[in-house]
Amino acid sequence: MIWVIHTLNGIAFGMLLFLLAAGLSLIFGLLKILNLTHGSFYLLGGYIGLTVMRLTDSFVLALLAAAITIALLGAVIERFFLRRFHLDELPQTLLTFGFLFIFADLSLWIWGGDPLMLAQPRIFAGSLPLGDYVYPYYRLFLIAVGLVVAGALWWFQEHTRLGTMLRAGVDDAEIARALGVNVSLLFTLIFAVGAALAALGGVLAGPVLSVYPGADFEALILAFVVVIVGGLGSLRGALAGSLLVGILDDFGKAFFPEFALFTVFVPMAIILVARPTGLFGRG
Amino acid sequence: MTTKETVPFGVTLAPSADQRAARRRALRAIAAAGAAVLMLGALDPSARADDAIKIGILLPLSGNFAENGQQTLTGLKMYFDEVGNAAAGHKLDLIVEDTQGKPDVAVTKARKLVERDEAQVLTGVVSSGEALAVNEYSRDNKVPLVFSGDAGADELTMPGPLLNPYVVRVTQNGRTVSAAAADWAYKKGWRKVTLIASDYAGGVDVMHGFAQSFCRLGGKVTQENWPPIATADFGPYLTNLDRTADAVVTFNPGADGLRLGRQYSEFGLKGKLPVLDIYGTVVYESNLAQLGDAVLGMYSSLFYTPMLKTPENERFVTEYRKRMGSMPSNEGPNGYVGAHALVDAIKAVNGDLNDKMKFIAALKAVKFPSPKGDISLDKYGMVIQTMYIREAEKVDGQIGNVPIATYPNVDQFWPFSEAEFESYKYTYKDLKGSLTDCGKVLAKK
Repeated sequence: MIWVIHTLNGIAFGMLLFLLAAGLSLIFGLLKILNLTHGSFYLLGGYIGLTVMRLTDSFVLALLAAAITIALLGAVIERFFLRRFHLDELPQTLLTFGFLFIFADLSLWIWGGDPLMLAQPRIFAGSLPLGDYVYPYYRLFLIAVGLVVAGALWWFQEHTRLGTMLRAGVDDAEIARALGVNVSLLFTLIFAVGAALAALGGVLAGPVLSVYPGADFEALILAFVVVIVGGLGSLRGALAGSLLVGILDDFGKAFFPEFALFTVFVPMAIILVARPTGLFGRG
Repeated sequence: MTTKETVPFGVTLAPSADQRAARRRALRAIAAAGAAVLMLGALDPSARADDAIKIGILLPLSGNFAENGQQTLTGLKMYFDEVGNAAAGHKLDLIVEDTQGKPDVAVTKARKLVERDEAQVLTGVVSSGEALAVNEYSRDNKVPLVFSGDAGADELTMPGPLLNPYVVRVTQNGRTVSAAAADWAYKKGWRKVTLIASDYAGGVDVMHGFAQSFCRLGGKVTQENWPPIATADFGPYLTNLDRTADAVVTFNPGADGLRLGRQYSEFGLKGKLPVLDIYGTVVYESNLAQLGDAVLGMYSSLFYTPMLKTPENERFVTEYRKRMGSMPSNEGPNGYVGAHALVDAIKAVNGDLNDKMKFIAALKAVKFPSPKGDISLDKYGMVIQTMYIREAEKVDGQIGNVPIATYPNVDQFWPFSEAEFESYKYTYKDLKGSLTDCGKVLAKK
């Protein structure tokens, strides 16, 4: 039974990682921007969700408010800042790095330095008994949400017109533009969607991990580990990478506790040596 | 009276009275400035006759330790305000610098405070990293330093390479809070405990303090769990926890404590395995309302709880809540006690901080009741204070850490004598992973 718990745990953690990494990977795939502000989107999403949850006591509203606000913030950052340096990697990365610090200090100013925990949605309070052990319902809910989001993103990419445009843009933005795809709008849209995914991650992680200064950097590092394992720019890679990292991290911590500090990084190191483009990355 | 000034070539000039007066004033000003420059070079800046006493405050006000810094600062200011920012007829000038929680920044700011602002004494300091760095600066430059922030590394006030004659600490060290916890755990009848502590020097220090006292009484640690700092998910540790133990002993500062508190009850351990939370990292005051019923019944040990029913503490809590809008945890009272010690010592030396050793001696001699309980210091400058065992209970609808046992006058070697403490072979640095082996923990030199 203990194996079931560890596996469930790894998958639940992996699903949180997926929400984080999917946005980062999506944005890189299309815009070729290594978006360091992604950590801020996660953090701000968590804080906004927390505030809305405290005001309205509704987890659904918290999710919506965080996703919409951060999507708008993402759109503004893409349109008015990043756009000026299209395909110019260094200024873009530095710009997103700068935003990361600005949002970190802003959050400290607004929400203070104490770690804050989101209340759980009441229907998922309590735990499922599994033999001698129990497993929290909320984590089962996380697994479900992760699967739904992964499914929705896959459907969007494969079966919608916008998804087709996205794939065209990823393959060759210039040709897509020549074929009449509004690449400019697509860029903003995808950046906003990626940001919103991170914000959702922030809210969903809130009742388990809490929100606190520094969570932005931690989330960013985890997202990077996942996309390095899975391959940058690939949704399938983000999903596979998240599950792999989540499960290995859990089993690593449980059975090789002396290596707990780098259980997350071991798969990354191995992948970098064996397959530098990641599991599903294109070379 | 007219005077003629003779200049070379025999030309005589007769300047107007106005011109002469102006020139004389200018000359005098230049001479004075020159003399001042010379004196500045020759004299220790702190020796200059200046009425106000300058106190340099080093605290992290941004970054991950910002909340600790802000709370300590509130405590410091509360006491300084109480005495009207004056002592022994001198105004007290507080100069606050943000260390960002980084050792290198802390030293730069310490240097700025002492060398540019002419601070005569430094106080504050939260993280152990900052504490070690500023401790070195204080020793090399002979600047009195009063730790009024957490700064809990044992070695700072124990005989050894780090001991600094210019240091006084009114806050805490890693091991005593745990030693009191161990004593209480044994008296409660627990003989086997498992532990979960953050994997860093402070965590090992604290758990070694526990194991040492617990082993000596006849107890045993059955299992060690060392989650890294900022562990997102305690699931793997909680699932593997030794359920045959009598209790679990925890020390997980920061967001880790909050997460552990929530996850502990989610994984069904609440009510099965009692928690003894050293330093109250899970039942930290700002966590209590957020964790709600999940923390009820958790035991913790600390040198303070806002629930103490003493006049000093009740007054402190009222004023603190007015300023911060929240219940104080350990930082506010630590800052407050630091300021109190400083003011008492300044009074004792009549405001003359030039004789530094005399000032340090005055600091070590302070003795007063405080929100934390009775305060005095030992010969190394380390505080002797009361330890409390607390239990999280609902009082008037609010969850608070209610004191259930008290250990007065705990010094830094407690429950050992200094000689016995020094006779043990291994320090905490050698014992991570061996705390389950009482033979090794208690091995003599």
